[in-house]
Amino acid sequence: MISFRQVEKHYGDFHVLKDIHLQIGQGEVVVIVGPSGSGKSTMLRCINRLETITSGELIVSGQAVNDKKTNINRLRRNIGMVFQHFNLYPHMKVIDNITLAPRKVLGQTKQEAEQTAMYFLEKVGIEDKANQYPSQLSGGQQQRVAIARGLAMKPQVMLFDEPTSALDPEMVGEVLDVMKALAGEGMTMVVVTHEMGFAREVADRVVFMDQGRIVEEARPGEFFSNPREERARLFLNRVLNH
Amino acid sequence: MPDFSVLTDYFDVYMEGFLNTIYASVIALIASFLLGTVIAVFRISSVRPLRWVGTVYVEFIRNIPLLLVVYIFFLGLPLLGITLNGFVCGTIGLTVYTAAFIAEAIRAGIMSVPKGQTEAALSSGLTYVQAMRYVVLPQAVKIVIPPLSNQFLNLVKNSSVLSVIAGLDLMYFGDKVASDTYATIDTYLFVAAFYLVLTLPLSFAAHRLERRLAKHG
Repeated sequence: MISFRQVEKHYGDFHVLKDIHLQIGQGEVVVIVGPSGSGKSTMLRCINRLETITSGELIVSGQAVNDKKTNINRLRRNIGMVFQHFNLYPHMKVIDNITLAPRKVLGQTKQEAEQTAMYFLEKVGIEDKANQYPSQLSGGQQQRVAIARGLAMKPQVMLFDEPTSALDPEMVGEVLDVMKALAGEGMTMVVVTHEMGFAREVADRVVFMDQGRIVEEARPGEFFSNPREERARLFLNRVLNH
Repeated sequence: MPDFSVLTDYFDVYMEGFLNTIYASVIALIASFLLGTVIAVFRISSVRPLRWVGTVYVEFIRNIPLLLVVYIFFLGLPLLGITLNGFVCGTIGLTVYTAAFIAEAIRAGIMSVPKGQTEAALSSGLTYVQAMRYVVLPQAVKIVIPPLSNQFLNLVKNSSVLSVIAGLDLMYFGDKVASDTYATIDTYLFVAAFYLVLTLPLSFAAHRLERRLAKHG
């Protein structure tokens, strides 16, 4: 489904991603953890080309993401994305936030798109907010709308870029619950997060990054109880024992 | 108490100037908005030569006095074999000058929309043009309305520059009435009143629009 091979990325002199190899299969939930500045978000954002890679090969759904011949808009339809700061469109009601892409990209009718939108709003538990504006919602509700917005395109993969980092602590749970349910339904998910509990419970695989490299890749049970790499051990000590 | 005979005796003269000022303002308003939008898009374009053209335009035009811009068209075009009257030259000069400021206002509006908005739109499969049209520009408009209405008000007032190149505008005829009657203060008070008749409604309309758009987000 997603395949990184020898991927490198530079920002000017800064070497952000170093020799990345990673395979993600259909239905897998992969959680990427690591200290800030380690390249987790950058790697995630390469998958739908919000960032471009400098060299190497990155294939998503059989298409080379950075190939000039790849229709990136077409590829992006199949990749939902949820951002740290929700990025809902503030000038549109919740329902219009969700129906914009299905209508303009997939050519659905208003009615069709609204039906789908309501289905997913119900799924994330806030169907009563359909006609409100994002500013009238709590952070947790906004992030759930953002998830519904991503799902409405019926993507093959969902990317989550620190989806709970901007939330008040009491709202983290409601968003993680939605993500857990989604994982349970077999959605392919790539999640960058600091929520170790989520990683332990939901991930099929945990990827640990440090200084632009994938340092360790393991099943969560293994990773959390017995990390192989010293850097991973240090990181876990710091985030788990405080 | 101003001498109202200066107004009543010369009413037709004022009206001719008033109408010409409206024509010049409306034409320059529409044209400078279109030109300004194009320049703004040039300035944020990823194509370097376009960005360059946009920057040179804005920096040159907004940093010379309007009067000189108008002179350049009025005195320069005949050297190229193009002779246009004062009204046309003045309106062109006004357009070219105002467009530089409008371009900056629009550019600032687009830049003030957080980058995450474009990213969210693009990542859902919208094209760049669709992302601009449905997500970025509607938000930029709200931010742009106050500086834009400022520019439009300035434009109406700046149209008085036409009077120095025989542009037949309100100010031009005001000067004429003043030198005919020697009632200079009275005449110019009436001229000011005519400008207010134009600018005050524009100002109120802008405020109303601002309030309406500010309701959400």
